[in-house]
Amino acid sequence: MITSIAHSTIYVLNQDEALDFYKNKLGFEVGDDMKVEGDFRWLTVYPKSNPQLQLVLAEPKEGPMFSKDSAEKIRSLIEEGAFGAGVFETENCQKTYEELVAKGVEFIQPPTEQLYGVEAMAIDNSGNWFSLVQR
Amino acid sequence: MATNYKFKRLNAGRDYITDNYQAPLSLADMAKYSNMSPYHFLRVFKDTYGETPNEFLIRLRVEQAKKMLITGNFSVSEICEKVGYTSLGSFSSLFLKQVGVAPTLYRRKLWALSNEAFRFPSQAIPACYAYNFLGKKPN
Repeated sequence: MITSIAHSTIYVLNQDEALDFYKNKLGFEVGDDMKVEGDFRWLTVYPKSNPQLQLVLAEPKEGPMFSKDSAEKIRSLIEEGAFGAGVFETENCQKTYEELVAKGVEFIQPPTEQLYGVEAMAIDNSGNWFSLVQR
Repeated sequence: MATNYKFKRLNAGRDYITDNYQAPLSLADMAKYSNMSPYHFLRVFKDTYGETPNEFLIRLRVEQAKKMLITGNFSVSEICEKVGYTSLGSFSSLFLKQVGVAPTLYRRKLWALSNEAFRFPSQAIPACYAYNFLGKKPN
């Protein structure tokens, strides 16, 4: 039986800038930040109250996974906002929205009543959009 | 789960631990930054984060020690001090309990696996990522 998700990937344009966003704006913790063979940087962050879920901040680069052309296409799609980073939960959407706006986070939808709760939508500094939901 | 206000106070205590993990920290020190009594801080911290403040502190110290063991050339005694322990015996026991091997053996094993000095080997990350990003086929 699968019990939980331990790692999920968010593709970002620049790991340093993404780390600044997820750590200093969203308030996430750094899980791992280490150089692995071949200069690959293994970088994970997680919400303070949920250390079991590590979000891997990875740059699409030419390598075993992507050809040069594919990496460029992915980067272009990230910038266009074609990818979603997921749904982050909060106890108070309006309050968190105000805090994040004050920190300079760009929102594309303010807190809005939905069938499943109150939801705001923002984008990270790579172009990934994410929802902020209060259930 | 803590309310939003209490969560902020808790985070202040947790941030204090993160920023000062190298120093000797008591539960009273940690609780002070959350404006809570030590017992209340302990209980709410555990309810919210799923681990006690001390378990969180140990996890932070061990994770830092793991990085230093692989990416630095410090002795185990130096690393022990750098992550906030005064007793090498206590540090080694905690490390063994958390990681499953003693610090020296951990370093020896990971250095032996890595093709480059002071780099984590690909085996230190989940195999699906090592395969995709580093082209390392699973054993």
